[in-house]
Amino acid sequence: MKSDKMKMPQHKKRTIRQLIVLALCAIGLCSIARADPLTIVSWGGAYEESQVKAYFKPFTEATGIEIEIQQYNGGIDQLKEQIRSQNISWDVVDMVLADNQRACNLGLLELLDHKTLKPAPDGTSAVDDFHSGSLVPCGVGNVISSTVLAFDVRAFPGQKPVNISALFDLENFPGKRALQKQPIAILEWALRSYGVPRSDIYNLLSTKRGLDLAFAKMSKIKQDIVWWEDGAIPSKLLSEGEVVIASGYNGRFFNATVNEHLPIQTIWDSHLYEYSTWSIPRGAKNKEAAMNFIRFATQPKRLAEQTKYISYGPARLSAEALVWKHEKSGIDIRSHLPTYKQNFLQGIPKDHEWYAHMQEKLKHRFDTWIKD
Amino acid sequence: MLRQLTVITFLGLIIGSVSALVAIGFVDAVIWLNDILLISPRSRVLVSDGTLLTVITIAVPTLGGLFVGYVSQFIPERRPHGPPDVIQAAQGHGSMPVKAGALTAVSACVSLGSGASVGQYGPLAHMGASLGFWISRFAGTSRYLGTVGIGCGVAAAIATAFNAPIAGLVFAHEVILRHYSLRAFAPITVAATLGYIVSNTVFERPPLFRIESVHIVNTYEFIVFIGIGMVGAVIAMLFMRMLLQFNLLSKSLKLPPAIKTAIAGLAVGLVALQLPDVLGIGKELLRFAVIEDAFTAGELTTLILAKIFLTALCIGFGFAGGVFSPALVIGILFGALVALGMDSVLIDGRSHISIYAVCGMVAVTGPVIGAPLTTILIVFELTGNYDLATAAMVSVAFANLLGYRIFDRSLFDAQLKNRGFDLSLGRDKVIMEQRSIREFVSDNYTALPDSASLEQVRNRLLDDQTNEAYILTSSGKYSGTISMNQLMALVSNNQSLSQEARDFAIPEKLILSPDTSIWQSMVMLRNFVGESIPVTEEGKFLGVVFEASIVDAYLTTLNEIRQDENAAA
Repeated sequence: MKSDKMKMPQHKKRTIRQLIVLALCAIGLCSIARADPLTIVSWGGAYEESQVKAYFKPFTEATGIEIEIQQYNGGIDQLKEQIRSQNISWDVVDMVLADNQRACNLGLLELLDHKTLKPAPDGTSAVDDFHSGSLVPCGVGNVISSTVLAFDVRAFPGQKPVNISALFDLENFPGKRALQKQPIAILEWALRSYGVPRSDIYNLLSTKRGLDLAFAKMSKIKQDIVWWEDGAIPSKLLSEGEVVIASGYNGRFFNATVNEHLPIQTIWDSHLYEYSTWSIPRGAKNKEAAMNFIRFATQPKRLAEQTKYISYGPARLSAEALVWKHEKSGIDIRSHLPTYKQNFLQGIPKDHEWYAHMQEKLKHRFDTWIKD
Repeated sequence: MLRQLTVITFLGLIIGSVSALVAIGFVDAVIWLNDILLISPRSRVLVSDGTLLTVITIAVPTLGGLFVGYVSQFIPERRPHGPPDVIQAAQGHGSMPVKAGALTAVSACVSLGSGASVGQYGPLAHMGASLGFWISRFAGTSRYLGTVGIGCGVAAAIATAFNAPIAGLVFAHEVILRHYSLRAFAPITVAATLGYIVSNTVFERPPLFRIESVHIVNTYEFIVFIGIGMVGAVIAMLFMRMLLQFNLLSKSLKLPPAIKTAIAGLAVGLVALQLPDVLGIGKELLRFAVIEDAFTAGELTTLILAKIFLTALCIGFGFAGGVFSPALVIGILFGALVALGMDSVLIDGRSHISIYAVCGMVAVTGPVIGAPLTTILIVFELTGNYDLATAAMVSVAFANLLGYRIFDRSLFDAQLKNRGFDLSLGRDKVIMEQRSIREFVSDNYTALPDSASLEQVRNRLLDDQTNEAYILTSSGKYSGTISMNQLMALVSNNQSLSQEARDFAIPEKLILSPDTSIWQSMVMLRNFVGESIPVTEEGKFLGVVFEASIVDAYLTTLNEIRQDENAAA
């Protein structure tokens, strides 16, 4: 009810604006309406929906620029192909930091000027207001998301899995596991299950011995792994009883439990959190409008707005104070965000620099291992 | 009394926080250097150019050695200082010189930063001791305050570095102070606790190793742990002997010090090309060693040998750094090796590899640093596991026993003995060996030029009411003594007393130098009959010491030591 009331005046406003735009165009004065739509590339699902509500629609309302949404599954191959063929159809890409870093190193992205970003409400400059590490030469952080484990509550009526070791513990927690078909998070978790402290993980994974140990641990559960590639799959597999434990994005699991009331519970131990960034492909057609969009969408108020729809943490510190309720369920969403203090302390910050350098090597080894 | 209590508690508070913060800063500086100099594994995989990595792997430790060797020349004694110097300062009447402290810290930071196979706890303990001593000077200049300051600094540094306050407290007493007194105990406890708070609460450092709940599977495995202790001691002795030998070899080489250290660095770099694990402190090895299946027996053997050789070489050839962390690494690898060996011996399964690894770790470390209690406490504080601590206790007890019987109490004690500071004789003797008789030289004597007649000698002796006259040459040198007995014998033999004294002066059998220690004087006095002993320096007569003064000095010193040890507050 409340949300309907809220929407009414906005809707009216938009109609009036559209009329004005039409009128202006009729007398040949509309530059806005002639502007090309902005092509923004996102990930689909509940995440994309939250972006539509918090960023895309308000942006179109404010500027009249339409937004065309495309989806991808991460990685930089498509981007590489567009730049190579000089057929660049993307304007803004929502990229995980590691991909952003890699693409930036390869010169596939525009350099962004962080000084033009909007300051915090209290006047703190944007550069000081963003989480450290979320502003990079070719990107501006938007949300902090986590890859977490979740389990089917029905599968374990007695002892429940509480930490990452449960993933590799077939004795106490038997059943299939759904894992992402990428060498991401699983290596960190394998080492964590040996008792390696969070701060040492990447140093140890940088040695042959460390990688061998991680793969050896993974081999122990290999027979019971169901691989997923699409982020929507894990909660589906859990709810259908196909698997008992699954890795996935914390936002998806939140959506499954709170919105779809599925019997799924998140394990926050050793969640791998990372920044997502807005990036602009080098030579994008609507470069200026793209940067305008980024400036608009990374205001603290907009970032906090997104947490009404999905449980990802805002990349700006000043946005944290504006976070409160999940729109649909009315629950206090703070404890469901990766940036919530209790959760944040248990997390492993994804070492994007390490990933940017190791990805190819890891992927090769990972693919070979899967085939073995 | 209350004022002094406040002063020393406050001292512990300040020294504890300063020492802990500096220790954290030092450790961070080393981590930072390891990252930018491509020593840490993570920084190494970020380099895609293989040739560049090879060049850097060799160049960094070599240049680090060049720098450290060069800087060390400006340190008093022309070598980096360490725990032995701290022990000497705390035991004798020494102090902690500012220059040596600062330059050693810089050298150690560069040594560790550039990947030399040395440890960080020695430098940290030395830094803590230096800071503690300097800060204590603001409160007063007594020997007691200096010692407490040193103890506080060391305890805080070790507590911070290991996240283990009780181990820090015990280390300061067991290795540095060598006695327990209630008066020193309170401020040192305060300092150690602060170190722990700073490292654990303020900076949230992960512990050195973490071991999941493990337990001993078979009781008879304790026999194996005893064996680990004994063999561990042998490895420790091999390590210490090799280190001392390399040190001698380095001294015999006619090369500039900077070149010698650079050679050790070069060796580290070359070995690291094949075996990158040898670079630096070996933190990754400590983590891996408690994980089953992380190593094969062959890898473990190679690493143990490489680490022993390179650490002995690095320290022997002048790198600044400790033996504590290398001993931990060598030991933990050795323990893991024993565990692998047991797989083929024990039919019904063995305990988790981490128990063996920890036993090996304490078995090698205990004899090297001469601190069995500290090593057991580190294990207990870091793991909170009784089974593990008990197994470690068994190993370390046998290791230290064997090490003490065959080698010495510790590497530090052996190094001090080489410098003529033998702690195995007991604190009393060491302190009395350190104190000279110079301050007890008296000018209450009768002296005459050698041109004086015997009659003049007799008259002076009668005037002064003494029995012995010291006859000096015109340049003030001691030529001999003439006693009243001697004169009376001459008179009864009808000799003329107008003869010159120089022909009758007989040098005393016992002549002391002012630098003679109280202890040596006591030993010499055993066969001495007479009232005073002449003291000369390069032939020049300085005065005399009375037997009574030496005995008095002896008793005073003993008394001071007792006061140190028994003081309650």
